[in-house]
Order: sequence, then C-alpha cells, then structure tokens
Amino acid sequence: MGLSKHIRSFVDARFDTETAEHFINKQVHKRLPPHTGWLHVFGSLSLLLYLSQTITGILLLIYYRPTPEAAHKSIQYITAEVNFGWLYRQVHAWGATLMILAVVLHMTRTYFFGAYKKPRELTWVTGVIIFIVTITFGFTGYLLPWNQIAFWATTVGTESANQIPVIGEWLRYFLRGGDAVTGETLSRFFVVHVIILPWILTGLIAVHLFLMRATNLATLEKVGEEKPLQPDQGIPFFPVHVAKEGVVAVLLLAGLVTLSVVAPWEIGEPANPLATPAHIKPEWYFLPSYQLLKYFEGPHGAFIGILACSLPFALLLFWPFMDRGKHRHPKKRPVAVGVGLVAVLAALFLGVLGHLSETDRTVFGRTYHFDLLGRPHQVTPSSDLSQRKHAE
Amino acid sequence: MNKRMNAMEKQPTRRGFLDWLIGLCSVVTGAALTVPGLLYLWPAARGGASEDVEVPNASGLAPGQSAILQVRGKAVIVVREQTGFTAISAVCTHLGCLVKWDGSRKEFLCPCHAAVFDKNGAVVSGPAPAPLPTYRVKEVDGKVYVSVA
Ligand code: HEM
Ligand code: FES
Repeated sequence: MGLSKHIRSFVDARFDTETAEHFINKQVHKRLPPHTGWLHVFGSLSLLLYLSQTITGILLLIYYRPTPEAAHKSIQYITAEVNFGWLYRQVHAWGATLMILAVVLHMTRTYFFGAYKKPRELTWVTGVIIFIVTITFGFTGYLLPWNQIAFWATTVGTESANQIPVIGEWLRYFLRGGDAVTGETLSRFFVVHVIILPWILTGLIAVHLFLMRATNLATLEKVGEEKPLQPDQGIPFFPVHVAKEGVVAVLLLAGLVTLSVVAPWEIGEPANPLATPAHIKPEWYFLPSYQLLKYFEGPHGAFIGILACSLPFALLLFWPFMDRGKHRHPKKRPVAVGVGLVAVLAALFLGVLGHLSETDRTVFGRTYHFDLLGRPHQVTPSSDLSQRKHAE
Repeated sequence: MNKRMNAMEKQPTRRGFLDWLIGLCSVVTGAALTVPGLLYLWPAARGGASEDVEVPNASGLAPGQSAILQVRGKAVIVVREQTGFTAISAVCTHLGCLVKWDGSRKEFLCPCHAAVFDKNGAVVSGPAPAPLPTYRVKEVDGKVYVSVA
C-alpha cells in the first residue's frame, strides 16, 4: 500500500512518532497481575456501555423533543416511524440498566479484591463518583419520555429533597424549576442528561483510566509490598486480556439486541399531572432506597430516612481511608469481606422487598399479599372477598 | 519556591504584591462570572397575584362527589358537600402523589404509601407528616371559584 507509507512518512517528518509509538506499545504490552481473569472485565464492560449510551443517545437526540406536548409523541415517532428507531431506543434504555449493573459489579470486584487500598484510593473515589453520576443519568433520562410512571416517580423523587431541613424546599424548587414537575423540570433534566452529565462522565472516566494506568492493576500482595511485574510475569494485556474483552463486547451487543427484541421497554401512557397511577415504583436500582425510606416515620422520619439512604454512598466514598488494613487477599480480610457481603445482601433484600411490596403473588398455589413494608399476608379466597368489600 | 515564600514572609516584595494582586483579581473575576450564572439557574416566578379560578361544571357535582383541577399550577380537589363546596390541596404532604376523595368514607386516600386524611385535610393514618392545606372557595351566581394563595 503506497498510500499508508506516504501518510506515515508525512507524519514522521513532522512529529516525534517514536515517543508516541513507544508509549502505545508500553500500554498494549503491559503485564497484568496473575489473578486477572473474567472478573476483571466489568470495567471495560462499563466503558463499552458508556460508548453505546453516547452513540445511541446522540441518535435519539435527532428526533427527540424535550417539551411536555411533544416528548411522548416524539418517542412514539422514534419507535414507530424512524428506521431502526425502536432498536436505538431499546438499546439505550436497556443499556442504561446494564450500565448501572456493570458499574456495580465492577465496584464489587474491586472491593472484594482490596484494589482500593493505597496507592489506588483516588481511583476508587473517582469510581464511586462515576457510580453516582451513572445513577443520576438514569434518574434524569427516565423522565424524558414524559409518561405517567416517569412523571410520578420524578414527582416523588424530587419531593423527597423537601425533607432535608433548611435547604429542602429550596432544593426541590430548584430541581423542579418551580413548585411542581412541569415542562421546566423536563428542560432541566434534559440539559443535565444530554449535556452536563455526558461531559462530567467523560472527564471522570478519563481521570479514572489515567489513574488506573498510572498505578497499574492491583496484585493480591500486601500494601507496600507490591513488586512491579517483570515482562515475563503475570498476564499479557494484549492479547490475553484484550481477547476476553472482545468476547465480552460481542456478548454485550448480542445481549442488548436480544433484550430489545424479547423484552422491549414500554412507552406507557403520556403524563397526566392530575392523576397519580396506583403503585408507582422507581427503577430497580432505586428500589433499595425506595424501600428503606418506608421504614422511617414520624416528624423527622423522612429526613432520617434520607440520611440512611445517603450513608452507604458516603461510606463508599471514604472507605479506602477508613479501612487501613494492609492485606488485599479476601481470605485475609474477614471483616471487610463480611461488611461487603452484608451490604450486598441488605441491598438485594431491600430491593426484593421493594419489588414485592403492594403486590399479590401466587407461590405454590397460595396467594400472598405483600403490604407496604413487604410483609407477606396469605390471602384465602374468602378473606380476599371481604377485604375487597372493605376497600370499596 | 520554598525559598521565595520564606523571603516573602520576611519582607514584602514587589513580586509578592503583584502575585497577590493577580490572585485577588482572578477571584473577583471568577465570582463576577459565576454569580449571574447561578442566579440564572434559579427558577423565575410565574404568574401574578392570586386570582380566582372557576371550577368547570361544579353544578354537575352531586353531594359527596369531587373534581380535580389545576389552580395556578397546583392540583386542587373540590368536594361538593351537603352545605356547599370545599377546596383542598390534592398534593399528598408525604411525597407529592395526588390524593383521591373517597365519598363513602369521607376521607382522602393517597395511592402511593396509603396516607389517609379526613375531610378537613387532617392526617388520619399513614406516613404523611402534615395536613393537606385548604383553599378558599367562593360561590357567585351558581358558579364556584377557588383561589390559592
Ligand atoms: C452520554 C450521552 C447520553 C445522551 C446524549 C442521552 C440522551 C438521551 C435521550 C435523548 C433520551 C430520550 C429518548 C428516550 O427516552 O428513549 C434518553 C433517555 C434515557 N436515557 Fe440517556 N443519554 C445518554 C447517556 C445515558 C446514560 C449513561 C444512561 C444511564 C446509565 C442513560 C439513561 C437513560 C434512560 C433510563 C432513558 C429513558 C429511556 C426510555 O424510557 O426510553 N442515558 N437519553
Ligand atoms: S405520597 Fe402520599 S402517602 Fe406517600
């Protein structure tokens, strides 16, 4: 190929390509710690989903209209009329859920492998901020289709800001752009979702990746006893780990398309500010907080509830500075591993309770009603009838 | 760097003063650019003085029935009682869902976390921390008007 040679010599004559090439080679042929395996792919999975969300988000922006009158119709138009519009909408909606899942799994992996310890505390801290930004992406994007469930979930979500003493009312007014959720809220959420958060996330990811490369991946050795990997030690980033990432990328694309076809997201009814639908629930990643809030009653209950929901995030943020133990290997950190397991199980438990609450489920032929707090009550056919009568 | 700082502490220099002045100007310029930006983000108030809004079709309501309408951006329930009309905020004081009037129990029920309010808006049960505010209703020539402060 003559052309590529020409381009090469053109660039060579003007820039110091050797340094750049050396740098890239060093990155590509870096050695990863010997325990690097499939559990280490969640970071690149999150990165792929970030790229996918950016591309599908920009495509959606071409036809989406951020006003109360037009938003819902524009999503219907994207789904029904635009070529492959349904696919990009579905991949964006499913990508949102999978991105949060990928970030959570990535955090869980680094937690249990003690990778947040010195000198990687800041990599962890930027990771926690990325997690919070990702959730905020989900919260702001959810409102954009302007359907009933999103409108009311956003009403309830922004209302909880009101429970914070002193600044609560101010904050709610600010978030909503007024007293209630209106077109002003939609505009605000839209700008945050498509401009502000994408740039913040891009910057955070850049810093996160830079820190990751600057300190290398953590081994399982104790803090301060890590030895740099020699060129014949550990696992080559290229091709061994890159191959795993390739497999994950293909599976992700297959998964996104399959989910989009098999379990498409509904558009739902357009928002009606004068009718609250029964049983509004937030997305699954808010269910643990949603459920936890219910257990706090009384005059200051809601505020204490909000504190209880923020505490896990504060703990995550400062964890590397609280856990000063030198060991990284999970077997040598029973307390940290125990705390992590309890936290994961508690979140799962609360999430499941939140999911079940206020529904009827039939298990082995028996029907149970799960109340507000998620407690099951068996419904016998007769008590069912009398309860119905009572409610009417 | 350290040496220079030490020298500065000992006696003011022209260089030190200029550094300080540049720093001050940067802070002032930064603040002058940021403050209007922050104020810009503050929602501008909408609507003028409180005015009366007519309840459409109020005469069509039988005693015990209710209607929901928006008055200056606020959701309000108007209930027809034997003696006249009452108006009450429909926004649940718990987390902002809209309550519904249950004519047979004479209570307002919230669909979200099951708060119950009596016909005057006082909390009967559930998680709501405060009563529902009531609004002024006027009947003029068979027409019903609500005003929210
Ligand atoms: C990075 C650039 C992004 C842009 C430009 C963007 C843009 C958009 C647009 C225009 C919509 C409205 C169309 C629709 O609702 O289907 C939307 C919806 C949404 N976005 Fe994004 N988005 C981005 C990233 C993300 C990320 C990272 C997440 C979550 C992790 C996310 C979560 C959502 C959700 C949950 C919806 C609602 C989906 C639905 O119900 O259809 N977005 N986004
Ligand atoms: S919003 Fe009405 S009970 Fe929670």
